[in-house]
Amino acid sequence: MSLDFAIRLTEILLGFAFIQQCIEHLWASRNEKILFFPRFILSVSLVLGFETQWTSLALVLLGLLILNRFQGPYNGGSDRMSLLILCCLCLTLFMPTQAAQELVFGYLSLQLVLSYFISGWVKITNPEWRNGQALDDVFRYSAYPASESFRSFADRPRLILIMSWAVILFELLFPATLLTQSTLIIGLIIAATFHLTNACLFGLNRFFWIWLAAYPSILWLQYRIFGAI
Amino acid sequence: MPIKTIVHTLKLLLPALIPSWRFFGVIAPSPRIEFTLLETIEAPSVTWKEFRPRPETISVIDMLKRMFWNPRWNESLFLVSCAERLMENPTEHSRNEIFNCIGNELKQDAILKKRTPYLQFRLVFLDRQDSEIHKRTIYISPVYRYSEDAVS
Repeated sequence: MSLDFAIRLTEILLGFAFIQQCIEHLWASRNEKILFFPRFILSVSLVLGFETQWTSLALVLLGLLILNRFQGPYNGGSDRMSLLILCCLCLTLFMPTQAAQELVFGYLSLQLVLSYFISGWVKITNPEWRNGQALDDVFRYSAYPASESFRSFADRPRLILIMSWAVILFELLFPATLLTQSTLIIGLIIAATFHLTNACLFGLNRFFWIWLAAYPSILWLQYRIFGAI
Repeated sequence: MPIKTIVHTLKLLLPALIPSWRFFGVIAPSPRIEFTLLETIEAPSVTWKEFRPRPETISVIDMLKRMFWNPRWNESLFLVSCAERLMENPTEHSRNEIFNCIGNELKQDAILKKRTPYLQFRLVFLDRQDSEIHKRTIYISPVYRYSEDAVS
C-alpha cells in the first residue's frame, strides 16, 4: 500500500468516524451543537477530499475546543485515539518531505501496535487478569455491560477464563502479525472482531469505528518495512 | 483565549499524543449515579433512584443500531468519567455536567418539575472485597433547583 493511498484511506475512515460521533452530539444540548455542527461539515469535507490539509488543521483546532468543553476526552480511549489519528494525519499532510511524512505516519502505526501490546502486557502482569477475576469484575459490577443480562457472563467462570486469555494472547501477539501482509490482515480482522464484540457487549461503538481508521497506517508500514511478503 | 486556558488544553491533549494504552489494567471501583427529587430545598433526601439504569436485555437489532447511533449510552459513559473525576480531582465542571444531564432529562416532565423542583444526586461506588460486592456512597451533591436554567 502506497503512502498516498494509506493517507487517503485514513482521511475517509476518520471522516466517517467523526460524522458518526457528530450525529450523536447533534442530538445533545445546544452548546454542543455549536462545536459539533462545524465538525460535521469539516468531516464531510475530509471524506470528499476537499482541501484536506486545511480541513484537518481546522478539525485539530476544533478538537482542542471540544477537549476544553468536556475538560478531557468525552469518550475516554476512543476520543484519545481520534485526536491521535487526527494530529498525525494533519502533521503528515503539512510535512515538507516524504521522509518526514513517513516518520509522522509511522508514529501513528507504532501507537496502534502499542495500543494492543501494552494493553496485553498490563493484563498479563496482573494476577487478577490471569485467573479471570478481572474480567469477572468487568461483567459483574463495572459500569460497562450494556444490559443486565450480560452480567450473567460472570456466572460462567470457565468461559470468563478462556475470554481473558484470548484477549491477553491476542493483544500480546498482535506485533507478530506484522511479519507478512496476510498475517497482518488476519490480525486486523481479529482486532476488528474484538472491537465489534466490545461494541455489542459494552456499547463502545466509537472504539470500533475509530480504530478502523488507524488500520491503513499499519498496512502501509508493514508494506514499507517488509515489502509485499 | 487566555494563555492559562491554552496551556490547560494542551495538557489535556498530551495523553492523546503519548497515550498510556492501559485499558482495564486494574478494575477500579465502579460509580453509579443516583438522584432524589425534593419539594423544598430543606426537605430530607429519602428515596434515591439510579439514573439511567441498564435495560434487562438488548435485542440483536438494537445492538446493530447502537453501532451507528448510541448517544444516550455514550453520554452515560461520559457521566461515569465525570463521577470518577469528581473523586480524583473535584471540579465544578464534573459536578455541573452530572447535574445538568439529570436536570435536562427531568425537565421534560412538567408535572414532576412543578411538584418536586429540587434535585440532589449522589455517587455510589461498587467494589469487590474478597468475593462480595460492596456499595459505598462516596459523594452527595448540594441541592439544586433543576427547573431553572442549567448550572454553569
